[in-house]
Amino acid sequence: MKKVEEIENENEVVEEAAGEEEKFPMFKFDHVTKAFKGDAAALSDIDFEIQEGEFVTLIGHSGAGKSTLLKLIYAEETATEGEVYFNGAPLSKIKKRKLPFHRRKIGMVFQDFKLLPKKTAYENVAYALEACGARADEIREDVPQILDIVGLGDKMGKFPHQLSGGEQQKVVLARALIHKPQVIVADEPTGNLDPGNSAEIIDLLLKINKLGTTVILASHDRDIVDRASKRVIVLEKGKIICDDAKSKYRVC
Amino acid sequence: MFLVIGRTMKESFINFWRNGWLSIASVSVLTLALYVAGALMVLMMVSGTVLANVENRINVSVYFKPDVSEEQIIKIKSDLESYGEVKSTQYISKEQALADFKKNNANEPVILQSLDEIGGNPLLASLVVRANDPNQYQNITEYIANASFKDDVSRVNYVKNKEIIDRLNSIIGQARKVGLALALISAAVAVLIIFNTIRITIYIHKPEIEVMRLVGASNMFIRLPFLFEGIIYGVLSSLFATILLLITMKFINPYISNTVLSRSLMAFYFSQMFFILGIQLLVGIFLGIFSSWIAMRKYLKI
Repeated sequence: MKKVEEIENENEVVEEAAGEEEKFPMFKFDHVTKAFKGDAAALSDIDFEIQEGEFVTLIGHSGAGKSTLLKLIYAEETATEGEVYFNGAPLSKIKKRKLPFHRRKIGMVFQDFKLLPKKTAYENVAYALEACGARADEIREDVPQILDIVGLGDKMGKFPHQLSGGEQQKVVLARALIHKPQVIVADEPTGNLDPGNSAEIIDLLLKINKLGTTVILASHDRDIVDRASKRVIVLEKGKIICDDAKSKYRVC
Repeated sequence: MFLVIGRTMKESFINFWRNGWLSIASVSVLTLALYVAGALMVLMMVSGTVLANVENRINVSVYFKPDVSEEQIIKIKSDLESYGEVKSTQYISKEQALADFKKNNANEPVILQSLDEIGGNPLLASLVVRANDPNQYQNITEYIANASFKDDVSRVNYVKNKEIIDRLNSIIGQARKVGLALALISAAVAVLIIFNTIRITIYIHKPEIEVMRLVGASNMFIRLPFLFEGIIYGVLSSLFATILLLITMKFINPYISNTVLSRSLMAFYFSQMFFILGIQLLVGIFLGIFSSWIAMRKYLKI
């Protein structure tokens, strides 16, 4: 009985969110603190909002809490205190069973790519669609298209180890985009790339953002942030020390 | 839904192939377990029919003293038939007993000769008594021993049959116990080995599983390949076990057919083969799923 009630409550929340969609920011961090067992808080009293269509750069040194913050966004972790809302729905209330559906609204890009080594570029991208239960003809149609967009149309049959770092990251981007997510979350996407490739990736992210997808980019590299030249949130020791729209890191 | 099943089936077949030796180990152990279980089933079925055959053949013969008249015996016969546990009684007269004896020993001229030398009919008239349940022979013999006509009875030959039946019963019972223990032990070993195989499969696929989770694959989509792998183990093992059993039956067929069993063991096995295969399939698939499930519960944190 209890379970049924819970599900009903959850539905209410979802319905509310759907009914008043305009009102809610895409992400709202409401005085979030995240502490891991036995450690000092990784994030403390984080309080900000991300609107739909925004391009947000998170910057901070390693260990400043960038990755933790992103994990809260894709619900890998839940807040110890406070709450993260996605389109008005609290993320900590997501059922394990429903988690995949949340993830399908988010495209993820990582520093270490996380490509499947035994699959070709095409298969890696197709895989994400397969996992979502897409139809075979959809996959055949969409995957080459998205690989064209990131500029790898001619390298679909290559395995990750046959591709350069930059190309691999583009495959990852294609994979992140293939299910048409509402938001792209990029955790140090240029960490393993040289400046030229990094710039290309950032430009691609900017292009994606222009087409209407929200982008959240985390990096410790000020050149990257400068290149994006969008809203910057500076994290230090788990705290937001500066949240400035249209700012350069230096100024903060 | 069908898409998901198709994709995961493909995935599990690939897993099965790429795991090579691990798969072979799992399948062979499970095959062994199912083989023992199958052999046990055949043993139980055969012993059941053997016992039934033997039980049908047993009876108690009540021999009467030479001076008891036929009328008296017929009276005793109806008296015995009114005794609840008696299924049937058959009167064998002196003359018939002699005829039967001569017929049975037609190839033994010495015996026939000596019979002639004795002259007259040395055999006794008897009643052959069959019970509903072999366990009741004890009661029936006791009843006869204490009946009003006990002085007319020369002897009752029951004791030696009883020993054979008791021995057969206890042998079959022991065999069943040992077989059951063997089947259980091998099933436990099979579960452990499949569990380990799936565990290793999960480890091999850790990065893949992580990616799956991140791109929003449902838990079912991640789990199904492992479950299917367990099912593949079950199906393959039961097929192998059946083949092995078939070979075994063929091998021991000449030793058992027509002697212990009144017909060919092969024919007997064929008549039951699909039933046994069905049970093996069920058990195999169950064990496969069961062990995959525990491995997933323990190592697949999703």
